[in-house]
Amino acid sequence: MDEEKKKKAKVINREKLDTQQLFQLKTEVGLSVVGQSIPRTDAREKATGKLAYGADYPQEGYLHGKILRSPFPHALIKKINVEKAQKLPGVVAVLTAKDVPGRNSFGVVIPDQPVICGDKVRFVGDAVALVAGETEEISYRALSMIEVEYEPLQPVFDPKEALKPEAPLIHDQGNLLVHHKLRKGDVQKGLAESDVILERTYKVPFVEHAYLEPDVVMAIPKPDGTIRIQGPMQAPFTVRRNVAAVLGIPINKVQVRSIYMGGGFGGKEDAPLDIGCRAAVLAVKTGRPIRLALEREEVTLQTAKRHPHIMEIKIGAKKDGTIVAFEGTIYNEKGAYASLGPLVNIHSVIMMPGPYEIPNCKVDGYLCYTNHPFGGAMRGFGAPQVCFAHESIIDELALELGMNPLEIRRKNAFKLGSMTATSQVLDQSVGLQETIEACAKAFDWNRRYQEAGYLDRERTRRRGVGIGMGFYRTSFGASFDGCGANVYVQEDGSVLLYSGITEIGQGSFTVLTQICAEELGICVEDIRLVEPDTDLVPEAGPTVGSRSTTLMGNAIILAARQVKDSIMEMASEMISVPVERLAAKNRYIWDCEHPENRIHFRDVVSKCWMKGKRLIGQGWWAPPPPSLDPETSQGNPYFVYAYSTQMAEVVVDVETGEVEVTDFVAAFDVGKAINPCAVEGQIEGGITMGLGYALMEEIILKDGYIQNLSFQDFLIPTIKDVPQITPIILEVENKLGPYGAKGMGEMPNIPTAPAIVNAIAHACGGRVRSLPADPEKVWRAIREAGGPPEK
Amino acid sequence: MQYPFNYFHWKKEIPIKQYLQPHSIPEALEILSYYNGRAQVIAGGTDVIPQIRRGELNIDVLVDITCIPDMNYIEMDGKTICLGGMVTHAQVCLSHLIRNRAKLLAQAAETLGSPQIRNVATIAGNLVSGQPAADIALPLLTLNANVTILSKSGQREVPLNQFFLDQGKTVLDCHREILTQIRFFALQKNQGSYYLRLSKRKALSLPILAVAIKVTADPEKKLFMDAAIALGPVAPIPYRAMASEDYLRNASICKETIDMAAQYASDESNPRSSLLRGSREYRKEMIKVLVRRALIRAIEDIGISLTEGIRYE
Amino acid sequence: MNDIHLSFILNGQRVNLVIAPNIMLVDLLRDILGLKGTKVGCREGECGACTVLLNGEPVNSCILPAMKVMDQFVTTIEGITKDHALDPIQQAFIDEGAIQCGFCSPAMILSAKALLEKNPNPTEYQIKESLSGVLCRCTGYKKIIKAVQTASAIRKSLG
Repeated sequence: MDEEKKKKAKVINREKLDTQQLFQLKTEVGLSVVGQSIPRTDAREKATGKLAYGADYPQEGYLHGKILRSPFPHALIKKINVEKAQKLPGVVAVLTAKDVPGRNSFGVVIPDQPVICGDKVRFVGDAVALVAGETEEISYRALSMIEVEYEPLQPVFDPKEALKPEAPLIHDQGNLLVHHKLRKGDVQKGLAESDVILERTYKVPFVEHAYLEPDVVMAIPKPDGTIRIQGPMQAPFTVRRNVAAVLGIPINKVQVRSIYMGGGFGGKEDAPLDIGCRAAVLAVKTGRPIRLALEREEVTLQTAKRHPHIMEIKIGAKKDGTIVAFEGTIYNEKGAYASLGPLVNIHSVIMMPGPYEIPNCKVDGYLCYTNHPFGGAMRGFGAPQVCFAHESIIDELALELGMNPLEIRRKNAFKLGSMTATSQVLDQSVGLQETIEACAKAFDWNRRYQEAGYLDRERTRRRGVGIGMGFYRTSFGASFDGCGANVYVQEDGSVLLYSGITEIGQGSFTVLTQICAEELGICVEDIRLVEPDTDLVPEAGPTVGSRSTTLMGNAIILAARQVKDSIMEMASEMISVPVERLAAKNRYIWDCEHPENRIHFRDVVSKCWMKGKRLIGQGWWAPPPPSLDPETSQGNPYFVYAYSTQMAEVVVDVETGEVEVTDFVAAFDVGKAINPCAVEGQIEGGITMGLGYALMEEIILKDGYIQNLSFQDFLIPTIKDVPQITPIILEVENKLGPYGAKGMGEMPNIPTAPAIVNAIAHACGGRVRSLPADPEKVWRAIREAGGPPEK
Repeated sequence: MQYPFNYFHWKKEIPIKQYLQPHSIPEALEILSYYNGRAQVIAGGTDVIPQIRRGELNIDVLVDITCIPDMNYIEMDGKTICLGGMVTHAQVCLSHLIRNRAKLLAQAAETLGSPQIRNVATIAGNLVSGQPAADIALPLLTLNANVTILSKSGQREVPLNQFFLDQGKTVLDCHREILTQIRFFALQKNQGSYYLRLSKRKALSLPILAVAIKVTADPEKKLFMDAAIALGPVAPIPYRAMASEDYLRNASICKETIDMAAQYASDESNPRSSLLRGSREYRKEMIKVLVRRALIRAIEDIGISLTEGIRYE
Repeated sequence: MNDIHLSFILNGQRVNLVIAPNIMLVDLLRDILGLKGTKVGCREGECGACTVLLNGEPVNSCILPAMKVMDQFVTTIEGITKDHALDPIQQAFIDEGAIQCGFCSPAMILSAKALLEKNPNPTEYQIKESLSGVLCRCTGYKKIIKAVQTASAIRKSLG
């Protein structure tokens, strides 16, 4: 071989490469599938109404499961009599706590939620009994015939109240579930050195995921003692482990299949656990398939929500805007059960100081049980709450210092090499400053900031602008975080892709297929992604935490490369070209130096198959292990972050407090957009969700009872509420991501609410410190500020 | 407060045993009478069906009157406009007659629910629901509408301002009676109108506050001759702000009188504090704002523009 | 329960059935006729996922008693596709990325169809008005609006 060509050749000895180098390899011929906005692989089925969601599965032969719910927020169960209900013709089983075969509790982190409550109930809607009947009507009637005697206990509804020593105990071990601490530097010293100190409190309420598809689950027991659970769910492996424990059987006897979801946003991480375990118990006890479906109001009543936070912040800064100290206290309202609370809490604590270089930080996060519906995972996992707080106080600080809100952010925001509040050095993929510049330019920030003011002669409408900025991790930073994928190339060149990542609507199936196609050098149509079934796919973890594209993408690349080795070796033989000179794209493999010398993927695969060569690939990828000191939360909790700057323009009716968002520009550093159209979709959808959080979403509780169970009164944005949204996608490559990608599922909806609330403050002088900023709150804020500005 | 069983437990089907579709009014009335309180009239169903599902309505039989012919008309009869009992909100929105001669009615109809709801929900049904925020009730009150109620014992005309009794309750017994016609005076040249609504989002939304105003004025003398101001939800029933109306009669058209009228309307209203709709204090203040704005818009129909010099204090 | 006879035109074909009096149109379509494309989101007419066209106009089938469609024309998402060929609206939704979880897509597509049949050249405001009865939690609506505009352009070019 020529010396020249030797130089060009890349040594591809995969065992010797570490993860970082592995993903820096790029094919010389450029990308063919990744980076393309191809239509989603499931779009046609969805557009024609042919795709089967959970409720579309056949119901013949299934018993209808229903849950009897507690009418009290906190009570002892003194007596329960199911005789009358059992005698109703068509009722097959009525179960109480004693009927649970295994562990009578489930939970994603801590299994503290009873499958069926035995001794007490802890929130309105808690499960007290289960019924399985031949028809839904019969099951419903049976519910009403179960006699329960309750002894109501004193409930507690406020997290701060719950922490007091005299507060009624919700769980035996106390109302404080966990206290997480962050300690960096010396916050007292920092405050002492500050020229300006601001103290503020911010509040955010319970909100609902409000996915359009209500939850449903099917549990099918088999004669061999195994059970199949299927339904829309984001975390089939979590469901499997819990169902096994609840039934008291080994995990390998539980098969869980996740089907296409009509939205999830984190809510379908633990709701399927809830109804899945209950359906499983009914299935095992009746020996018949069970279908348990929730009506919309029941979804609101019993499923997890976003944790309310009360956030007290003290921030200290120099005259020039350098932030030197940040002290925060979070009262994180858990509600009745743990669900994902402990993980949300540590995340809130870590993220509380925001994407700013602050040398002295002290944060305490108290996760407190209350007799309210419980918080779980919801898009952002603590970040939307704390981002609202830190972005609001930064703006208030800017006002105090007479600084442009953009300037104070530019000054303090993360750059490559910055140290976070956990003292993590951000050593790669930090596009925050780039997002600031791109957003400010596209939005024309300075001009709009100066030009805010009255729009009409009557002086009722004022325009204003605001910024929100944030960062968000990829994946959840647990030691057991890992992801496996199998790639099986069939003898005719078609491919089966086994991935346990679920399709919530975010486009994961499409994006992961794109990555696989790119790696193998074929087309998306050649690959069939097998629906996540725990019997078929390797452990993948849950589809949460913006981890799917990155972790599963990496696993798929590793799996595909195992197969690709065989294919490239064989191709090399078949067309007599050294492996190093081969390139693969669009179903062809060819000699880079003599492109006309090429061979079809199918022919190479066929030959491999004939020769018994490996066409099965298996990949496993785990992020670098996290580290976090339990006392100070110092360390590297997550391995990479996405960044975003968002700018909102609003028009406030200063007399009524009505807010209209008229323009929105948002820039994101996504590492690499595998499918730019899908990324835009996440951006536009996430911003709309953030707009709802900012202006209209709120679960209203009175004495523990939700007042707005239905869509009539729990308001999410309609098509008429959404402004022009301009998404800007920036790519600052993540060395540890597939083709440089990072997670983007949650990032878009995090800085949105503060951007809007900051814009409202700029428009009318009214600062709203508790979401949602509905018309009345804005009106009050204007009055508190002494009326709208003069100019 | 004791919450009922069906607050926490829900099911798919509604417990209706019969669904009947009479093809004439006498037939419908006969059926209603036969079931003696166990049957109810259903038109579009957008109120009735959710009410049954929520357990707020306990009946066995639905009598669907939408198959009765000749109930869909929107007609002019001299100076009055007549709407048949089956006229939908969508029809009102599209009707040239209503848009020209009863503008605020079309404005109100447009704000109800969504296109899907407006396509089947009837004006009559909205009145019969007896909700204080009933979007269509407020403009019809200002237009001094009369409704025709038919029952087995005969026909009666009820002025709309005597139609509402309490929240969810009207003089019409929907187990035995049918609302067959709504009549009101079309707006004349010296009359202007406006409908304004405050809500938490822009579609599919119940109002925090809605205001319907009809004014009769003398543009030459710049004098209010008459005003009709309807507000909701500020009381158990749709509400006419009489004190405010009295004040405006023969008052000159200027910023001060409009502000005063708005103040009167606010003072005489009695909204309660609601977790879902807002505090009493806010709603009273919004009455002032909306009444003022609606008055200004209403007089624009008559060619009087008052935006000059209106400034927020 | 007293069963009643219902006869109506579904997606261009006459259908004759005996049904229970308490059944809503959405359950008739899904459970009895096996047409699962129409979805149930809330059962109170607030989310629009159950939208079907009744005589060309969008209605919430979850609160529409089935008997109301006697001798009327009902169009569901299954009726939009003709002989495996996608309606331009469906194609536009696919191409513009207007479908994410897809739960609201049949309702959005039908609402768009009703609009474009009456108003082939809608403004953005008119598109928003016509689709305001369907909630979407995934897309933020932007690509849906674009898809309707694209469909309008395609239909115009098809003549």
